[in-house]
Amino acid sequence: MSLPVRVSEHPLNRHIYVVELEDGSSKLATLNMVPGKRVYGEKLYNIAGNEYREWVPYRSKLAAAILRGIRSVPLREGDKVLYLGAAAGTTVSHVSDVVGKSGRVYGVEFAPRVMRDFLLVVRDRSNVLPIFADARKPWEYAHLLELVDVLYVDVAQPEQASLTADNAHHFLKPGGKLFFAIKARSIDVTQEPTEVYKREIDTLKRGGFEIIDVVHLEPYDKDHAMVLAEYRG
Amino acid sequence: MGKLFLLHHVVGTFLLDERGEIVKGFLAVKDIDENVEQNLKLESGSDELPASLSRVFEELSADSTYVVETEQLARLLSRRGAAGVEVDRGAEPFRRFRERVADIAVELGFVRSREEYYEYMRAFLTELARRKLRAAARRRDLLAAQSIRAIDDLDKTFNLFATRLREWYGVHFPELDEHIPKHEQYIELVYELGHRENFTIEKLERLGVPRSKAEKIAEAARNSIGADLSDFDIEPIKVMAEIALTMYNLRQRLADYVEAVMREVAPNVTALVGGLLGARLISLAGSLEDLAKLPASTIQVLGAEKALFRALRTGTKPPKHGVIFQYPEIHRSPRWQRGKIARALAGKLSIAAKVDAFTGRLVGEKLVEDLKKRIEEIKRLYPKPPLKKEVAGPLPPKKEKEKKRETRRPRR
Repeated sequence: MSLPVRVSEHPLNRHIYVVELEDGSSKLATLNMVPGKRVYGEKLYNIAGNEYREWVPYRSKLAAAILRGIRSVPLREGDKVLYLGAAAGTTVSHVSDVVGKSGRVYGVEFAPRVMRDFLLVVRDRSNVLPIFADARKPWEYAHLLELVDVLYVDVAQPEQASLTADNAHHFLKPGGKLFFAIKARSIDVTQEPTEVYKREIDTLKRGGFEIIDVVHLEPYDKDHAMVLAEYRG
Repeated sequence: MGKLFLLHHVVGTFLLDERGEIVKGFLAVKDIDENVEQNLKLESGSDELPASLSRVFEELSADSTYVVETEQLARLLSRRGAAGVEVDRGAEPFRRFRERVADIAVELGFVRSREEYYEYMRAFLTELARRKLRAAARRRDLLAAQSIRAIDDLDKTFNLFATRLREWYGVHFPELDEHIPKHEQYIELVYELGHRENFTIEKLERLGVPRSKAEKIAEAARNSIGADLSDFDIEPIKVMAEIALTMYNLRQRLADYVEAVMREVAPNVTALVGGLLGARLISLAGSLEDLAKLPASTIQVLGAEKALFRALRTGTKPPKHGVIFQYPEIHRSPRWQRGKIARALAGKLSIAAKVDAFTGRLVGEKLVEDLKKRIEEIKRLYPKPPLKKEVAGPLPPKKEKEKKRETRRPRR
């Protein structure tokens, strides 16, 4: 393994880092909130007394979107994030690193199996809160939440866009941002969206979102795209 | 009195006006266990309501319209005689409340600071998720137990059908019996081919019989001493064969199903002994929780009750293992190591079942590793049968041994 030589802030976000390695390659990383702990077998880099966690684009769609040149990464220190489809907490852990100790990440997940793994991530990270619920029914967990600054959706559901609009209507602040990971079967997302895909974006627009950017996640994730949008309410 | 927005939250239950200002409110019980319990009951539709909610219900006025976010609250309100009830999810007053909920909790004295609010919510949500997870698992362990019993039923029935078919079809083609020892293959051949005239080398090969064997069977079919049967007589045999094959396929599917359910319900037990054996243990104990409450010594002999109680009654040797005998490391090992391995495995199983039933953490890998180490140790320390030990060590009290034998002999 080659050693890290230099670390710099990513141009899009002060809390996302680029670690340059001895062999000339560079890796996306976040400052590890829980030094010494890995979440999914990622590498840890120590530079100048800080520990950084490699952010693997093949495992996290947000990392893939950043590497594929998404226009901005509107996650600030102290932000409250509602994350639908937390799964085992891979991406959640990096979002948790980015928003820091004063931020909060509410992770909603409905599959018992992965919820177990997610609870392990929650145990180590004081800014992550678990919600074992069905993201299609936001009113069933409304009593557990507050308004949030950012909504992150990665649920791979047929009615993904409408449940996103529903959740935004319950929990997203006006002007809040949306990250929307979408499965787009082998299509060019910027020029020739298929009907399914167009429908999803239209649903988002009707739900009060203004689309900021769409990036294709090839080669990290086949047939996936990340939509970045702002909530107009 | 106009519209009032009724909102139930972890920190309490509140009536809000159209601007989202609190008109009236009651704080929830602070104790996390109790608060989680009350919210779980509300969710499950129990008649017992969270304290703060029932206090709000006591103060309903007849001339107000109440707006809520869930059908459930709407139902509860109408049942208590509220005249106007509306459901308006994500209405502005609710959003206003949620925007400031951390500050409200501090202002009303539920918590002392925003930090404490978040600490409280995190502990609350973790506990809530954990309990729901446990409830979800507890129900499904019974499914695993039932399907393993169904598998056992299928095995028994399949064997019964297979023996019957061998005898029945044997009237027509008795020589096939000794050539095909595997039940499912025998039945498949009978179902696919029917009359023994159809047992040709090509057809047999197409059904997966190796060339040399196919030759022998075809030869036997030509010279068979069995009775000639008409289509009318073969038909019922084929129907029965078809049903037996369906049962066989169902068994495979159930086995996959049990594996999948067990991985969710009891991941640690499954990591140790696999889904089928794990489900069998749950089935014998009654449920996952019952299994978790058993001591390791009982788990070790689950399924060998007959031998155990005979041992207790007559003073013969107790069984070394129950169904955990199916664990490969036990039945593959030499006789004198089996008891020790069974004891080690039962110990780990006992831990795994407790973790699965009560916390849901994942410790399976560590347990498997520890068990492997212990098994290696056993193999290293006891490579030979224990006869030698008797010679080397102090002589065992002879009398007792004699006695034991005496009690056993008359039974023979």
